[in-house]
Amino acid sequence: MFFKSSNITARIFDRQICTPAPGTSVHYARKFYENLVPSYTVYEVECPDHSFRKFTDDGQYLISFSRNQQELIVYRPRWLSFSCKDEDCDNHDLPLKAKRFESFFTQLYCVPLASCNELICKDFFLYMESNKFGLFATSTAQVHDAPAVGGAVQGVPSIEKITFHLLRLEDGFVLDEKVFCNDYVNLAHNLGVFLYDDLLTIVSLRYQIIHILQIRDSGNLVHVRAIGEFCREDDELFLNSNAQGMALSDKNKQQQLLGNHIYNNIHQAQPNPGNSFLSGIKQRLLSFMFRGLWNEETDDTLRVQKIRQKFYFHFQDYCDLIIWKVQFLDRHHLLIKFGSVDGGRQVSRHADTHPAFVAVYNMDTTEIVSFYQNSADELYMLFEQFCDHFYATSRNSMHMNFISSHSNNIHALEQLRSIKDKASSSSQFMKKMLSSLPFSCQSLSPSPYFDQSLFRFDDKLISATDRHKQSTDHPIKFILRRHPYSLRFKIKPGPEAGSMDGRAKKISWFLFHPVLPLALSVQQTLIMQPPLVNISVVNIHFRR
Amino acid sequence: MDSVLGNWPSYDPHNFSQLRTSDPSRSSKMAPATYHSIHNRDVPPADQVINTEHKNILLREIYRRAEEKLTPKRAASDNLIPEHGSKQPRVST
Repeated sequence: MFFKSSNITARIFDRQICTPAPGTSVHYARKFYENLVPSYTVYEVECPDHSFRKFTDDGQYLISFSRNQQELIVYRPRWLSFSCKDEDCDNHDLPLKAKRFESFFTQLYCVPLASCNELICKDFFLYMESNKFGLFATSTAQVHDAPAVGGAVQGVPSIEKITFHLLRLEDGFVLDEKVFCNDYVNLAHNLGVFLYDDLLTIVSLRYQIIHILQIRDSGNLVHVRAIGEFCREDDELFLNSNAQGMALSDKNKQQQLLGNHIYNNIHQAQPNPGNSFLSGIKQRLLSFMFRGLWNEETDDTLRVQKIRQKFYFHFQDYCDLIIWKVQFLDRHHLLIKFGSVDGGRQVSRHADTHPAFVAVYNMDTTEIVSFYQNSADELYMLFEQFCDHFYATSRNSMHMNFISSHSNNIHALEQLRSIKDKASSSSQFMKKMLSSLPFSCQSLSPSPYFDQSLFRFDDKLISATDRHKQSTDHPIKFILRRHPYSLRFKIKPGPEAGSMDGRAKKISWFLFHPVLPLALSVQQTLIMQPPLVNISVVNIHFRR
Repeated sequence: MDSVLGNWPSYDPHNFSQLRTSDPSRSSKMAPATYHSIHNRDVPPADQVINTEHKNILLREIYRRAEEKLTPKRAASDNLIPEHGSKQPRVST
């Protein structure tokens, strides 16, 4: 076989004459990213004091929020433009004007989103690529010991007002808003909201409702259905018409109570059909479990025994399960995580103390398709083999479908297998891996520099997930996976000379442009002694 | 040198000198034998339409395992005949 050169000119000539193998055109084009790398760093760029959130997945905008979390500022990434008259340009240092933030980013607009007592959630942002709409969230302060009224779950905090804003990112025009009052939605890192194509699911933890909304091309947020107490659209009508009939007979018995406003109190004080039913989705779940256990045995006595042991013994625990997180698997199927009220926000090391369950729910037939405990072998096999299908990405956005995972990349799979072999207990390992299900929406960067078949890097220091990482003073190396297996470029967050105080805790996060060889790194030093201050250092990494 | 390759250039002029071409007059008379099937299982039905499955592979797998669990366990003898012994066209949902 002939050896393909990794020289960029040779690759360009090859591209003229060779057709890539079927289905590999994206991978073939990505090989050019081995040659075009963000190897040059501009340290400690003077930039506006904003918290930079991320680049949009098509690379058109950089989203940032003002430090007081009241305004949204959107930039357009652009490239340097200056010329050099000398012949030996490469050896010249960059002119000073090239090292400014404004040379790389143009501010498009600044829009106030939050009113006086609200704050923008700076960890929340969803992008609808097809229409270039952005979804942002503002909320008032959390109330922790909120009383559980009106069907709310005890133990979940309450927020007086959560507003979702849909903006057209071209000009910052606010297209629509959706308000939730006295509710709780997990906004941090898009945990409680999932966007698939034009469908949006918002999980109201407090009232245990999965709201499905559709984003229309006109920019309207249209409520499609609410899954929780009722599964089908006409369930509520049916139950209300029956409940009214029964309540009327109750009312006749209670004629000594005066005033129409007491009618509502009857519903809460007296046991009536509305309160004694389990919620619709819970009923679906319990009947699915019952049917599954019933079908496992053919002998009647064994069946009853099994039902008693595995179902009725834990019946109250199953009834007390609440919905914690939801994602779309496709337009009709949801993956729902159920857990106990205490253990929902599981940290992976505490995964074993609170059991959690994952269910696949078909919204159209309102049936539960399957139900697993989060340590189930079967669920882990699905996760290992089809991980990239759990990252449900719309078919419209092509490059989002090429993010490396252990199901589509041999190097990532080898890494996973080595962790699995080293793990002391395989069930603990599986629980830890499965605690990431359901996945959060748009939490991975599509940048080709995170493609595991191109580069090898330390994923404790940097990875495609947009979470903060521990920062060290050493640069993060990106090494080629293919011949010649050499160090290709380094990303060093923080000041060039390293920070002065080696003991201070530093965290960093990275914003990689999805297409261009351009990245921002932000390093924050948390100084514990007074004055308590966070020093942020922003570096720009690009291909010079 | 009268070869199928004509007088194309090559590094070494002695390359391809041993090549004996097949006789052009003979080769056109001998057509290679073609295979005609003697059974009619291969003929697709006239109304067969091949479509992309709408469910992705993960959901197909989840549904397959769910169906396996829901069907009550049959006696061993019933399972000797495989379900998909002969391929049937499948209507996509």
